[in-house]
Amino acid sequence: MNLDESKSIVRDSISEITDGEVEPTDEMNLIGKEAGLDSMKLVELCLTLEDKAGDLGFEFDWTSEAAMSRSRSLFRTVTSLAEEFLAQADKEK
Amino acid sequence: MIIVTGASRGLGRAVAERLIESGQKVLGLSRETEDLPFESMACNVSDYEAVKSVAQKLKQEKKELTGLVNAAGIASMNLAVTTPPSMTQKLIQTNLVGTIHCCQLFAPLLIRKKVGSIINFSTIAVALGLKGESIYAASKAGVEGFSRAFAREMADFNIRVNCVAPGPIKTDLLKGVSDEQINAIVSQQIVPKVFQPADVCDLCEFLLSPKSSSLSGQILNIGGV
Repeated sequence: MNLDESKSIVRDSISEITDGEVEPTDEMNLIGKEAGLDSMKLVELCLTLEDKAGDLGFEFDWTSEAAMSRSRSLFRTVTSLAEEFLAQADKEK
Repeated sequence: MIIVTGASRGLGRAVAERLIESGQKVLGLSRETEDLPFESMACNVSDYEAVKSVAQKLKQEKKELTGLVNAAGIASMNLAVTTPPSMTQKLIQTNLVGTIHCCQLFAPLLIRKKVGSIINFSTIAVALGLKGESIYAASKAGVEGFSRAFAREMADFNIRVNCVAPGPIKTDLLKGVSDEQINAIVSQQIVPKVFQPADVCDLCEFLLSPKSSSLSGQILNIGGV
């Protein structure tokens, strides 16, 4: 998996949990004032990514200290979340 | 399945056994699980990684969680000025942080099903401000504050969060507390009697059942204050 594929997984997941109502871009904020998702949808996104990671053969841990401290937050944007998703996939290789 | 922490003794054990009698599937968590007559796993709730490992195992095994009873806790009856810092740390870490760990790590299993009930244990000492229980009460006041806010966070997922706050109940936790001290506390309750573990079990069964679907974010003081 490369970063583009990881971004695609995150964007597809957002579309799935919002029934296509949100059209995510790579720069879309996931937290803060400009967030494109509410907090409930953000939790659903994490659970969906957890499932997709399972299908790909790795565990996506969105609660780890390492993931949270790597930058201000992995939830800043679709890209930052995709980067973390890819990093955890690569780590388990 | 319903997870009960602190399941090896006291109120946790009583609640676990009651739920099993009622036909529920229970997973008991406790630091020591030897000789427990029901499904259990060793877990120190104050250890985040230990709780996380239980949550991961349940997810891998595709266990369907419907409830969580956070009954693990310790007590220490002491004036604040005579309580060593190690005990202060232990009380906060087990009673408050342990409850938070279990809520945040097991909640995703409930969120997936979009249904569930979480019961956290507080104490009537919070509402009464009992002398000699200041640090214990502080740890449980934290549980109450956390539970009220967490109930709002979970409401969107159809998960209810409530606190049960018992007064003196005849369990191991009361060992070393004199009858005189117990009576002094009981006399401040609206219903001035010493309640039994069965009374706590009744309330927990109710809070875990759909019959209590209108209740969330509530602190239920047994005996009333």
